[in-house]
Amino acid sequence: MMAARSTPATTLTPTATDESADAAAELADRISGAVAAVTDPEYPDLTIADLGILERVTVLAPAPGEAGPSVLVELVPTVLGCPALRTIELDVVAAALAAGGVAVEVRFLHEPVWSPERITGPARDRLARDYTITLRGRDGSLRCPLCGSAAVTERSAIGPTRCRAVYYCADCRNPVEVIRR
Amino acid sequence: MRRWESMEAFEAFLNDGGIVEPGDDMPEPYRNAVFQFIELHANSEYMGGLCERDWIPRAPGLFRKLSGLAKTQDEIGHAHLLYMVAADLGRKSREEMMADLLAGRTRFHNVFHYATPTWADQVAIAFLVDAAALASQQAVFKNCSYGPYKRILRRIIAEEGFHMRQGEELLLTFAEGTPAQHAMFQAALERWWLPALQLFGPPSKPDDKLLRWHIKSERNEVLRDRYVQKFAPMLIDYGFSLPAPVARYDAARDYWQLEDIDWSPLLATFDNKGPDSRRRVQTAKDAWEGSAWVREALEAAAEGSGVPRYGATTAAGDAA
Repeated sequence: MMAARSTPATTLTPTATDESADAAAELADRISGAVAAVTDPEYPDLTIADLGILERVTVLAPAPGEAGPSVLVELVPTVLGCPALRTIELDVVAAALAAGGVAVEVRFLHEPVWSPERITGPARDRLARDYTITLRGRDGSLRCPLCGSAAVTERSAIGPTRCRAVYYCADCRNPVEVIRR
Repeated sequence: MRRWESMEAFEAFLNDGGIVEPGDDMPEPYRNAVFQFIELHANSEYMGGLCERDWIPRAPGLFRKLSGLAKTQDEIGHAHLLYMVAADLGRKSREEMMADLLAGRTRFHNVFHYATPTWADQVAIAFLVDAAALASQQAVFKNCSYGPYKRILRRIIAEEGFHMRQGEELLLTFAEGTPAQHAMFQAALERWWLPALQLFGPPSKPDDKLLRWHIKSERNEVLRDRYVQKFAPMLIDYGFSLPAPVARYDAARDYWQLEDIDWSPLLATFDNKGPDSRRRVQTAKDAWEGSAWVREALEAAAEGSGVPRYGATTAAGDAA
């Protein structure tokens, strides 16, 4: 893993008019895009951006003598001690390097705290449709992601992963997993 | 609730890609076959989770302990989901399934009937056995006709993919390590190659009802052959040599030909008479009895709270 760089640097600004600044801004977009496209190890078709794990990507101007920019990636873990964090970190570093970054630092933030609301709408739909995984409504209500029934009852406070609880729908008789808060 | 007038009509429904749901009036032989298959899968996840747990204190380094902890939780969690779906089929309650497993009356996968004397054995499981299990599960998922099982498999497969990746990392440590590390994995490979190949089961019968009813989608020998084509060259590339049954490369056909397999070790595990079966079942029994106080505490805490009693997953209980 790349060591954190202490070199102070300025954030690239896309307002500069010369061609090299345009190219730098394009590179910054490409790196940010590559990091946002990193998939979650346990949901291979959902990205860390979809799941609200990605908080911010900052692309810094190249340090003197460096061929490319430094990258700071700030992530919000779904649960502390999540066993997938190291894998996510490795994937983020690899993606940022492949897109043209030369040094990458990954920081796991304690603030803000992750909550299920950080999952994007389309990702929630995919979790419900493809994985039978749902989350509670803002009012705490819970419905079966398969049949819409409210007859879902808890069977285990923690499921196969620490971020999910196990429920059961008495109407369609399927186990349902609910993202924990 | 859907009903089928005859087995022919039911099989035509399955052949059209139909998915059976718990409320359907499915033919009894199908219900029994699905139940037995899921019970075997649930038992195997549970025993696999205990095997993984054994190694948490002994895994080298904090990160590997953390991975082992997470993997144990995954396997036990999968067992929990599978037991719910199995119990819902109304053949046995979850308590009956646990009692049968702990008394050695029901089966679990062959690979959990062997000892893991070294960390390299655990890595061989993470790399070789998990890959074989994942290939089997993917083949079941592809064409699975029982809805609730198919939905759980989707999540299990996603999580097993993560385990596979960890297994590859662990293997690389041995493959690129010192001669002593290399020799340690070679020794483990000699213990695990045959059980991994046999995880796919003996060659499928010509008219396997699990295939006819779209519970499996591929014949056992086809899955095993595909596995050999992938893993034989990979292990050789890493500098290991294949123990019996040896796979030899036939350049003319670009094909890895496997020697004949001795099936007697697999058949012994079917009767819970594998090399480590007795200890494994005893370990499960001890774990179950040792955690009884947790279940009792949960039940007591849940009383009057409206939260259903732990493990109340029989079909009758759920319908009430």
